[in-house]
Amino acid sequence: MEAIRAEGLTKVYPRGGTIALSSVDLSIPSGRVFGLIGRNGAGKTTFVRIAATQLMPTSGTLYVLGHEVRHEVSSIRLRIAAVPQESRPLYFVTVDELVYLYLKMRGADSVEARRRTNDVLEELGLTAVRRKLVSRLSGGMRRRAMVAMVLASDAEVVFLDEPTTGLDPLARREVWAAIRRVERERRTVLLTTHYLDEAEALSNRIALLEGGVVRLEGTPAELRARVRRPFRVTVAGGMSREELESFGQVSIVDGGFLVFTTERDARELALKGLSSGAHISMAPVSLEDIFLQVVGHRLEEDAPLEEGTT
Amino acid sequence: MTERHRLRALLTLTYLNGVIPIRSQPLYLLNIVASPLSFLFFITIASRGALLNYGLAGGMLMTMLSIGTSLQTDISHYKQDLKLQDVVIASPVEAWVYVGGIALSELVYSLPAIGVFLALWVLGGWATIVGALTLAGVLVLVWAFASALGFTLATYFEDVRETFVFSPLISLGLSVLPPVYYPISSLPAAVRPLAYLSPTTYAADLLHTTVGIGGLSLEAAAIDWSVLLGFTLALLALAAFKARWREP
Repeated sequence: MEAIRAEGLTKVYPRGGTIALSSVDLSIPSGRVFGLIGRNGAGKTTFVRIAATQLMPTSGTLYVLGHEVRHEVSSIRLRIAAVPQESRPLYFVTVDELVYLYLKMRGADSVEARRRTNDVLEELGLTAVRRKLVSRLSGGMRRRAMVAMVLASDAEVVFLDEPTTGLDPLARREVWAAIRRVERERRTVLLTTHYLDEAEALSNRIALLEGGVVRLEGTPAELRARVRRPFRVTVAGGMSREELESFGQVSIVDGGFLVFTTERDARELALKGLSSGAHISMAPVSLEDIFLQVVGHRLEEDAPLEEGTT
Repeated sequence: MTERHRLRALLTLTYLNGVIPIRSQPLYLLNIVASPLSFLFFITIASRGALLNYGLAGGMLMTMLSIGTSLQTDISHYKQDLKLQDVVIASPVEAWVYVGGIALSELVYSLPAIGVFLALWVLGGWATIVGALTLAGVLVLVWAFASALGFTLATYFEDVRETFVFSPLISLGLSVLPPVYYPISSLPAAVRPLAYLSPTTYAADLLHTTVGIGGLSLEAAAIDWSVLLGFTLALLALAAFKARWREP
C-alpha cells in the first residue's frame, strides 16, 4: 500500500520561474522509511513541502494516504507531522514544554501527551535537559528537540527534512533509533538527508533527485544493481592509471586510484594488481559512489539552478 | 478535529505565546502598554486633565490595534525565522485556530493596559452597564480586525524586518491620524470625509460615548456599529481567503 504517490508532479516557482520539480512520478510505500537524496537545489525540499501541504504544486498530482494535496488538505493534515528544513524550536520554552505543548496542540489529552513526551525524551537522550530552556541548548540539541517533537506525535506520515544536520555522530544514532521505532509502529517516514550513510542505513527505498527529476529509485540493492559499474576497487601502487583505465572509470584518491568497474573486471583487476605488488581493496559501490556515477558530481556540490529551489 | 480538540489547540497556543514568554521576561508586559499610556500621559498633561477622556478612549483603541501589530511581528518571526508556520500547517491545527490562539495570547500582554484604562474609566465616573457593553463590543471588534489584518500582512512578508515598516504605518493610519484621540470636529471640513475611511473613526465615535464625550443618536450609533462590523467582517474574510497559509 502507498503512503504517497506523485504523478507528473511539477513545481515552477512563480517568482523567477525556476523549475524545481519536473514531471516527477514516485510511489512511496506506507509503513517504511523512504529516503530522498540529492544535491542542494535538486528539488527534495520542494517535494517534501508539497507533500506536507505547505506548498502548492504547479501541475500534476500528489496523493498522501489516498488524499489529493490540492483539495483534500484537511484529511491529510490530520495524519501528518513535519520537521521542516532549517526549522528551529521556540526558544523561550523548555525542551519538555516544546514536545508536550506540541502534542497538546495536535489534540492529545494531558495524560497521553505526558506519556509520549517522557518516552521520546528518553529515547532521544534529552531527559537530562528536559527542564532547560531551548535557548540554552546547543544547535544540535535544538535540532534533536525538534525531531523529538514530531516523532512523539501519532502522525501516520512523518516528514523529516534533513533532521540530523548539525548533530554529532552519537546524537545521529539516537535519532536513527527513534526513526526505526517509528517504522516499527508501521508509520511512514519521508526522509531527506545529505548523509548518504544515513539514507542507506535507514531507508528501505531511496530516490535520487537531480535537477527536479527522479534519476534513480529503488532499494539500496536495486540501486547498486542498476549502475553500470557496481564495484569499487582501490589500488595503491604497482599499476599505472593507463592500465587501470582498461578496467573501468578511474578517479584519483588519496594514496592511489579508485576504479568503478563490473564484478568480473574487479576480480581480474584484483588478481593483476596483487601480482604487480599493488595494495588492493574491493567492495560493492556505496550510495555515494552511485551518486557520483549517476549525477557526475559529488553530493556536496550545489546544483546549478538555485533561485527559489530547495 | 473535534471542537474540543480545537479549543485545546487554541488555549495551548495562547499559553505558549502569551504566558510562557512572560514567565521568562516579565517586561514583555510593558510592550503593548507603553505607547497608549504615553499618549494618555501627554494628552492629559498638555490639556491639564481636560482631555483625559479622549486619551482614555484613544488608549483603549490603540491597545487593541497594538495587538494586531504585535501579532504581525510574532507570526512573521515564527514563519520566517523558526518555520513554525510550516510545522503547524503539517498538523491538524487549522489556520484560524493558530491565529486565534496567537491573537488571544496578545490579549494577555495587553492586560496591564486594559487594567489601567478600566481603572481610570471607573475612577472617572464613566462606568455604566451600557457603557461597559459598548466598550466590550467595540474593543472585541477592533481586536478581531486588527488581528486579521496583522495575520494577512504577516503571511506575505519575506523578512521579519518588513513588520518594522508596516507596524508604525498601521499605527499611524488607524490610531494616530483618525479622530481617535481628538474630536472629528477638530479636523478641517475638507479632510473630514477621509477620516471616515478608517474603521477606527467609527469605533472611536462609539467609545467616546462611554467616556462622556457627546451623545450619539440611535441612528448614528447604528451606522457606526454597522460600519465597524462590516470592516471587521471584510478583514476577517480577507484573512480567510487571501492570507498565505500554504505557499503558492
